[in-house]
Amino acid sequence: MDSREEYKYIGKREENVNAVAKATGRAQFCSDIQMTGMLHAKVKRSPYPHAKILSIDTSKAESLPGVKVVIVGDEKTCPERFGAGVADEYVLARDKVLFVGDPVAAVAAETEEIAQEAVDLIEVEYEELTPVFDGDEALSEHPPAILHEDLKNYKTLRSVPPRYVGERPNVFNYFRIRKGDLEKGFENADLVFENRFETAMIHHVQMEPHCGVAMVDDGGRLVVWGTSSKPYGMHRDIHESRNLPSSSVRVIIPAHVGGSFGGREPKAEQIAASLALAQKGYPKRPVMMWLTREEHLSTTTTRAHYLVDIKTGVKKDGTIIANKLRLVLVGGAYAGTGYLTARNASFGPAANYKTENFSLDAYGVYTNQRMAGAYRGFGNAEALWGMECQMDVIAEALKMDPLEFRLKNCMDEDEFNAFGEKMHSVGAVECLKAAAEMIEWGKKTESKEPHLKRGKGISLGNKYSIIPTASGAIVKVHPDGMVELRTSTVEIGQGSSTIFSQMLAEEFQVPVSKVRVLNPDTDITPFDLGTSSSRSTFNMGNAIRKACLDAKKQLFHLAATELKVDPDDLETADCKVFVKGSPERSIEIKDLFIPMVIGGYTLKEGAEIIGKATYYLPGVMPDPDTGHSERPASFYMFVSQAAEVEVDTETGQIRVLKIVTANDCGKAINPTLVEGQQEGGVLSMGIGSTLMEEVIVDNGVMLNPQFADYKIPTTLECPSCDNYKSAIIETAHREGPWGAKGVGEGTMVCSSPAIAAAIYDAIGIRFHEIPITPEKVLKALKDKEATQK
Amino acid sequence: METLRLKINGESVEAQIDPGMTLQEFLHGKLGMTGTKLGCGIGMCGCCTVIVDGKAAKSCIMLAVQASGKSVETIEGLADEQSLDPVQEAFVHNGAIQCGFCSPGQIMASRAFLNECPNPTEDEVRHALSGNLCRCTGYHKIVQAVLKASQIQEQ
Repeated sequence: MDSREEYKYIGKREENVNAVAKATGRAQFCSDIQMTGMLHAKVKRSPYPHAKILSIDTSKAESLPGVKVVIVGDEKTCPERFGAGVADEYVLARDKVLFVGDPVAAVAAETEEIAQEAVDLIEVEYEELTPVFDGDEALSEHPPAILHEDLKNYKTLRSVPPRYVGERPNVFNYFRIRKGDLEKGFENADLVFENRFETAMIHHVQMEPHCGVAMVDDGGRLVVWGTSSKPYGMHRDIHESRNLPSSSVRVIIPAHVGGSFGGREPKAEQIAASLALAQKGYPKRPVMMWLTREEHLSTTTTRAHYLVDIKTGVKKDGTIIANKLRLVLVGGAYAGTGYLTARNASFGPAANYKTENFSLDAYGVYTNQRMAGAYRGFGNAEALWGMECQMDVIAEALKMDPLEFRLKNCMDEDEFNAFGEKMHSVGAVECLKAAAEMIEWGKKTESKEPHLKRGKGISLGNKYSIIPTASGAIVKVHPDGMVELRTSTVEIGQGSSTIFSQMLAEEFQVPVSKVRVLNPDTDITPFDLGTSSSRSTFNMGNAIRKACLDAKKQLFHLAATELKVDPDDLETADCKVFVKGSPERSIEIKDLFIPMVIGGYTLKEGAEIIGKATYYLPGVMPDPDTGHSERPASFYMFVSQAAEVEVDTETGQIRVLKIVTANDCGKAINPTLVEGQQEGGVLSMGIGSTLMEEVIVDNGVMLNPQFADYKIPTTLECPSCDNYKSAIIETAHREGPWGAKGVGEGTMVCSSPAIAAAIYDAIGIRFHEIPITPEKVLKALKDKEATQK
Repeated sequence: METLRLKINGESVEAQIDPGMTLQEFLHGKLGMTGTKLGCGIGMCGCCTVIVDGKAAKSCIMLAVQASGKSVETIEGLADEQSLDPVQEAFVHNGAIQCGFCSPGQIMASRAFLNECPNPTEDEVRHALSGNLCRCTGYHKIVQAVLKASQIQEQ
């Protein structure tokens, strides 16, 4: 599949199909939903990181005027545990609380104020238990606290089950890779380097806090709207945790969701659902649970504090011959998506460089904090922070240019990664060269002031996309020629609705305005694994193409009868079906339908022109002992970034003067949308995670749960427009729709090491932890000066 | 309860409200004008930006009664039946909108700024929008859009 071919809609900068609705304020988000009689929910949360619940008295709350429902974590309300990989969580905590903020009770009332007053009237008696926060302590064989004593008896996910470690009771997942002969590798190495690197806990800071609206409809069915990026995952969590038949629950995600970045666990939706179900009598009123910004930042999933221990052996000529890593995702009280993040953080290090001898042990551990796990990059940014910083340490020791060192060792087409998988569609070299060119690698610039030091850094990263994976798509051709897509991909701002519209436009050769994409609704749109892992362009894209083929088959079968030709001789464009090569022999799609006497249009058979397809890619599960697999991922996106910084040695402040990114996405279905992902990834999250952001915790309490103290980049922290550059590299994937892979997940997997390398180039200080704040810079400069004296 | 009288997008509005209600709650909750979003409640993210008597204001830290007798413009009032405001056009054409949650605030802040400073430098645009947070875009296409809008209006 040639990704450079010219198409009418594919590869074009089509206008985002939702832009006008969003620009005019018309777009309705979950938090904008207003229903008659809607109740508002508030949650009672644990003030302790680890405690037994001795008693809960809700009597005062229940008798407050305006309060309609009060629930606690009991057998009736929360019969079953649920969880992405291990079912370790109740909707409301039962018997024990495991983090500050763990929900123990909830109220639905006429107004938010009344609900909050009621929450304050709920009396809970606790018996405090010793908590554990430190990752190394939590991982140990005798930790200060064990969060899930009964872990081995919890239900787990059949397709990708977590793996425990008998002697380490807080491990909720363990994964390993063993390739080659590591001992021999280190023996044969000329130089061996061993370092620890860490990333601080940070938050996604989606602009719309998590929201759920739930109601029991007049047929007695539970309907839940939410901000989840995985409608079918949310659907499963809701019905399995309540022992409800799956078909009895309906999940709807609005057409507009205020960002995801991997952090959309259904925290609000589950509570709204329980409140809706617990109502007695009629009418059953809808319940909205919308997290405040404080709740959002302090109780929802974070990107974990990560511990990366890496030992690398190299030859004098710069060949990497052995790599050993230990990754620890310091998780929260419930595994959540952390169970998979802990395992899949291994992909980045496994695929970045060619290495004969490779060993990796990855752990996810419970601590008494809120859930940590999926964030843009899914553990790969954290793992590559360690690996890429290590590569710079090595390059310096060898007196090799960091760019040349990477070009010498980087992954390439047909090379084998640490899983033993033959790599395909690898844009590493092109990305490195493009980034080097954009940053003017090798050219030094000087600032005017002596206390301002400048430096440049470059990095390489990659991001896999998950297997096993499945996406269903349904394509309907309306009598007026409109083509409609039923998909459960969530439009979270990335532009999925737009590129899918472009795909349909291309398949049916109609303008994008003649195409419609429905929002996810489990009654209408078929199963999709979820909007994550940069999987939608590739997987849903392929499902869409298959479904279009199915729809066109029906269309051509109908038209063939009318035009008296073979269906294989037909094509469609502009809402017409015509004979290939003889476009004058045609019929309009509307004329394939029969107008019926009382009204409406029908077909003689099949009810509708409706194509359906699943794109299913099982891959190959890695061997539990060695991690070996021929297909542990669906594809890999490569990325290289480079930065130029200016360090103010008097204030410790770091200015990102220039930052560039080159991303290999296979084929840019819409270059403007690809650029959008690159920009957001680098400028907001890349800069933010490296220089500014940190969830500051004291005894399990987040001290900065608001924008006053949790700082994300503003317009002023980002370089000027001329000083940000991006390149789209297209190394086509043979299985991708029009050669396309994905982009979003890889946009900041190597931002931090590029910036840190630039800082090292500027002031000669290597930081092993992010964020690199002015305070840390000043301290490091002072320490350096002291040791030099 | 207090009687509030003000102009919203050129129309006179009268309502009975709790005096503790913020302008954002009044617009979004009471009037159903959901374009003015709540992002933080402490005036730090800019999602709630409206224009009050010609000046950008953060409606989540303003009491509705503080807008009494004033003229409030919201995102819903920016476009007319025929066409979008040049700032909205520029945001749409330049790909400056991703999830869209911060967009009404960004657009209203930009509109108010360009009304006062019709020919800004990039640096001036960045300073003017430094109180409007965005997590999706990195501001790159937003800043470009505002500069484009200023150039279009100049013509």
